[in-house]
Amino acid sequence: MPPSIHPVDLIASLRQKHLTPAIVFLTSRRACDEAMESFDHADIVLPPVRQDAIAAALERVIAQYPSVADHPLIPTVQRIGVAAHHAGHLPSWKIAIEELMRQGCLDAVFATTTLAAGVDFPARTVVITQSSIRKSRDFTDLTIGEVQQIAGRAGRRGKDQVGFAVVTPSPYIDLGVLTKGFTGHPESIDSQFTISYPMVLNLLKAHPHEQIHAILAKSFAQFQLNQRAELLERKLDALHVQMEPFGPRVCTDWVSQWQTFDQVRRQRPQRHQVRRHESPELSARFHFMTPGRVVGLARGRGIVLRQYRSKGQKNPMISVLRLDGAVTECPASNVGDIFDRVFECDETPAFPWCSAASFDELSYQLTELPARLPTLPIMVPKDSEVLPDAIVQSLGDFPCPSCPSRPACQKDFATALRLRQEQHRHTKSIQALRASLWHRFQERVEVLQKFGYLSPSAHLTDEGEWARLIRIDHSLLITELIRAEAFTGADPALLTGVMASITHDDDRPGSFPRISSGLSSLLGQVRKLAESLSPYEDPPLLRADVAALAERWIADPTLTWIGLCRLTTMAEGDIYRLLARTLEFLSQIHTLRATHPGLAETASRAIALIRRGVLEELP
Amino acid sequence: MTSDELEQLLVQQPVAVLHRLARGRVHRHFRAGKRRLIELILQHSSQNLAGLESDVLALIAERQSHPQPPQPPARPASRAVVAPPRRTAPRSGEQETTEAAVSLAAWLEGIGVPAPQPFVPDPWQEDALAALDETDVVVSVPTGSGKTYVAVEAAKRAIAHNQTVIYTSPLKALSNTKYTEFSRIFGIDKVGILTGDRQENGQAPLLIMTTEILRNLLYDAASGEIDIRLDTLGLVILDESQYIADPERGVVWEETIIFCPSQAKLLLLSASIGNPQDIADWLTSIRPTTCRLVRHSKRTVPLRAGYLHPNGKLVPLFKTATIPSGHAGHLHPEAKRLFFEYEEETLPSGRPRR
Ligand SMILES: Nc1ncnc2c1ncn2[C@@H]1O[C@H](COP(=O)(O)OP(=O)(O)OP(=O)(O)O)[C@@H](O)[C@H]1O
Ligand SMILES: [Mg+2]
Repeated sequence: MPPSIHPVDLIASLRQKHLTPAIVFLTSRRACDEAMESFDHADIVLPPVRQDAIAAALERVIAQYPSVADHPLIPTVQRIGVAAHHAGHLPSWKIAIEELMRQGCLDAVFATTTLAAGVDFPARTVVITQSSIRKSRDFTDLTIGEVQQIAGRAGRRGKDQVGFAVVTPSPYIDLGVLTKGFTGHPESIDSQFTISYPMVLNLLKAHPHEQIHAILAKSFAQFQLNQRAELLERKLDALHVQMEPFGPRVCTDWVSQWQTFDQVRRQRPQRHQVRRHESPELSARFHFMTPGRVVGLARGRGIVLRQYRSKGQKNPMISVLRLDGAVTECPASNVGDIFDRVFECDETPAFPWCSAASFDELSYQLTELPARLPTLPIMVPKDSEVLPDAIVQSLGDFPCPSCPSRPACQKDFATALRLRQEQHRHTKSIQALRASLWHRFQERVEVLQKFGYLSPSAHLTDEGEWARLIRIDHSLLITELIRAEAFTGADPALLTGVMASITHDDDRPGSFPRISSGLSSLLGQVRKLAESLSPYEDPPLLRADVAALAERWIADPTLTWIGLCRLTTMAEGDIYRLLARTLEFLSQIHTLRATHPGLAETASRAIALIRRGVLEELP
Repeated sequence: MTSDELEQLLVQQPVAVLHRLARGRVHRHFRAGKRRLIELILQHSSQNLAGLESDVLALIAERQSHPQPPQPPARPASRAVVAPPRRTAPRSGEQETTEAAVSLAAWLEGIGVPAPQPFVPDPWQEDALAALDETDVVVSVPTGSGKTYVAVEAAKRAIAHNQTVIYTSPLKALSNTKYTEFSRIFGIDKVGILTGDRQENGQAPLLIMTTEILRNLLYDAASGEIDIRLDTLGLVILDESQYIADPERGVVWEETIIFCPSQAKLLLLSASIGNPQDIADWLTSIRPTTCRLVRHSKRTVPLRAGYLHPNGKLVPLFKTATIPSGHAGHLHPEAKRLFFEYEEETLPSGRPRR
């Protein structure tokens, strides 16, 4: 335990300064529980009036949620007027604490930052002990918006004249993040639009294929893509203006004309001829590997610093800035993903191919990239742009040598070409921005056609008609399992076990009851299918131990909630969430009653069996 | 020194020194173990090994002149563990910087319960409600401003016109709380709640559900399998709509907004975000009427920030009692000094916390 203020002292300080009631945000559930335990030997006892008030308030909550009655923490809360509130607790217990807090019965609550989101849980003071939070298995600095959401819990309208946000340090707290959060303007938010299989099926059920483009165009994602495209279009306009002084010449496309002439004249190896050996895909993709672009390579991600063609083989190559700060050379064909993310990059003609400031900025950006980035869909042009051979056949065919514009062309060519290339790049980016959602949609359509949910004309097949009703994560795995008749003859316990293992996405270890052989072999089958589907859908964790816990709850209707909790080290709030999520999945399967009556019936029996004890207290 | 020698030297140093070296050189160095830390430090200084070398030597020299206090033994969850940094005698010489800064007494002034006042809606609340008669509304105001009042009042008006109202929240827990709260306000028979497998009072004029459930309803309606009376739907309230930026679930808010029937008004309630105008412009571009944005960033209950030292000393965090918007650097000199002292004392323990 790091040197930070002791919870008992903390509460005493707050009480002494009249800063209660307070919410104390701690880094983890464990920290909250330990903070509670630290009061075990403290000789703090609330006056009897306040103890009675807590008891009375709890009484009212218990009338509605009986499971609260035998919560082991009730005596402590009543004695010290302090409680913990985190995701490891049952919803009913959290409701009880929220109610106590609302009625002013408590002096403080130890909570994790999950509380910051939306729960009506105000206090006079908020205590902040951290500057980063765990997000998808990694610690990230709090954003300005998050700091303000947390601090904003302080100061109740009508009950406080002033609210207080108090920072108390723990090691590695970054005070800068917090002060910036307090004083800054919240970040802009960006669309996180993704296209899922059920979305495609449901869209195509209700609308003909040719209308989808217009529907996708209504998304916030497209709105923001358009904003970016418009920015580029303005740059493009500016480029047009810069190009104006160069025209008109004797031939309209004098830049290409001169470029080809110049190359032939100098007997330079023909770029365009080389290109013919590349696949159109690679050429199309290479186009996007421009400086500042984030790309995925076999080992990690990088940012492109320049693109060029190797001297020897004339292969398209890129120089990439890697996560460790190294700049490596790599064939364009080794690039896996091209991400929809480009940073400003101030290019320079020599190593490291960009200015020092850019280099620092890009190195930093690279470490800050989120785990998931949208990839850029890339259109492969039908006819790759190959110059007709006729043009390059002989120098004699060129009008340039005797052309009156020749001196002007020769002089302006370098600048004009650069401007033109920039124009070209912007045009391509604009096209990609305008069309990217549609391409992502098309990719999904193709997969659904491959699996037979959509006909070649993109209409729902019989399979697609029912599959569209499964609108949850891992929908492809679930519908494929149903089609493979994996659940034929499965009883409610088995079905529940499998669904639980599909919903559960937490890899925290723990001890669990033993799994039945039936469920174990069925899970083996599920795992195999999930693996074969992995190119199309991220496989779930499919933990057998978690499945066994859910199975037990269904298989043994006499098992009490406390009995279930004793079978595992999982926190009861987590068990509750697992079963509640499983319930959601099962209720989706239940909607298939028209086409899969047997399975729907099993699901409905499973739902009835899950819904008992604490799982019946809330809708 | 060759880079190998330098590495050797680093290996001999305690982790604490390595963390200090890594500060400003390596991002998030506290997560790395010793070996990895050395690797990272060397990597990031590969262009400037000489600079690194001089820093190492300076640190070593500094440590030799100020021997570190012995670390208390680590016994988790016991009160003795906590090593409150030794109180340093107050230094009176520093007063000239403190002059401009707010005193603790002034910072705490006004703490307490305000006199009860009759409920008068805020102008922005009135604004939002008036606009909602005509068009969709996006509200972006700080936490705890009173968005619920707008939702409740708007729902009352729609119900009075015999319209159905749907209220969505991102979390089931929040839906349950609102169900209780709204039942109290509107009467039990006027409020219903829908979850994946249950409907309570599904015919009530005010329906509460998560945004996912509404999205599913809208898909069903689009394909002709109407479950509830969407034709009488007059108002859709999306609470906590900053969730549109949630990496996993944000798309559901977009789908819901795209497919929301055009005769129903949309009311988006959101905490403060940076670009609420974008959201409003987007709605304007896809909905029949021009969306109205209601925003402000001033907190109704003023907020003050403080710093509590592990030894129990409380000081204002900023020079001013209120939070100096836009000036993260305006720290209270006392808070700055205590925090610096804290960092100096805790860093040598060097053990990553998590
Ligand atoms: N005009 C008003 N005058 C006085 N008090 C008000 C007014 N409007 C709302 N309140 C009170 O302010 C408190 C907070 O309101 P509410 O929960 O609606 O905030 P919110 O904006 O939804 O916050 P959150 O971001 O936490 O969801 C409530 O207790 C409410 O009664
Ligand atoms: Mg609210």
